Amino acid sequence: MRRGLAIPIFIIFSCIIISTAIMMRPFGEPKSTEMDDYIIKNAQNETGANNAVTSVVFDYRGFDTLGEATVLFTAVAGVLLVLRRYIHE
Amino acid sequence: MSEPSKIVKTIASIIFPPTMVFGIYVILHGHLTPGGGFQGGAVVASAITLLLVAFGTAEIARRLKESHLSVIESIGALGFISLALLGLTATFFYNFLAGSGFIFGRIPPFGSNPGDMNTAGTLPLMNISVGLKVIAGLFAVVLVLAFVARSKGGGKR
Amino acid sequence: MIEELYISLVPMLMVIAAILAVHFRDLISATIALAVMSLLLSLEFYILHAPDVAIAEAGVGACLTTALLVFAIKSTRRMEER
Repeated sequence: MRRGLAIPIFIIFSCIIISTAIMMRPFGEPKSTEMDDYIIKNAQNETGANNAVTSVVFDYRGFDTLGEATVLFTAVAGVLLVLRRYIHE
Repeated sequence: MSEPSKIVKTIASIIFPPTMVFGIYVILHGHLTPGGGFQGGAVVASAITLLLVAFGTAEIARRLKESHLSVIESIGALGFISLALLGLTATFFYNFLAGSGFIFGRIPPFGSNPGDMNTAGTLPLMNISVGLKVIAGLFAVVLVLAFVARSKGGGKR
Repeated sequence: MIEELYISLVPMLMVIAAILAVHFRDLISATIALAVMSLLLSLEFYILHAPDVAIAEAGVGACLTTALLVFAIKSTRRMEER
């Protein structure tokens, strides 16, 4: 019963994923490029960094990095809160 | 769990300095070459984890207290958030040092150029603070789990 | 041509490593197979011109996660129960 249900679901999901992979745009040719062009053209002048990825991560999208840092801080605080009593044994 | 052999200790102490130098390079040159605070911090934390695995938990814990890691992580988080707040004259996360002629305040020419450490405004400082935060955070988790394994495991299979 | 060969070869090895990680009964072996998968994933990121992600994946996935899992296995049982 379970296997009879599993095989059609597997086939349907495989078809969906393979058809998505076939319909995907060619690699390295995005459809709308206004944001990319703006960042490539102005990142060096506005932030002074040669590495445009870092200028996006820390400057243009700095708020996302703040969220990421908060997630890391919360995870470490949770782990230390639960497991701290083993340190002094 | 028996003590690691002399081969493991020798190889670990040979590999540790280049890994550390590479991680610090990735952090400090985050605005010029691929990488940044998180990546370099992960590499440095891996290097210290190698020492932890090779030399045992007690040896590392004698030199590196867990409270030191908490202090380092808090310094990183406070530095990051205060750098973001200092740009509040314009907006949150404004790059107030870029092009000011002060520290890290030079603007590179457009296009490919060899790169200059003294550019990019607040980005290197943010890379350093995020790097400290990631080193301390990731290594604190590994260290605490090593303590748990030592107190619970101990040769039991 | 050679780059396309790499692009298609590395994911196949990754799939093999992932299947081995599920298949092993010894959890230390499964952890090492998972580390191999992470290392191949970072190689794939490097081939696809994303060196940032490759460095992060090599550091976190192949080293720190392996150490964490090994310490966790050390404090529980090594062999998987049936």
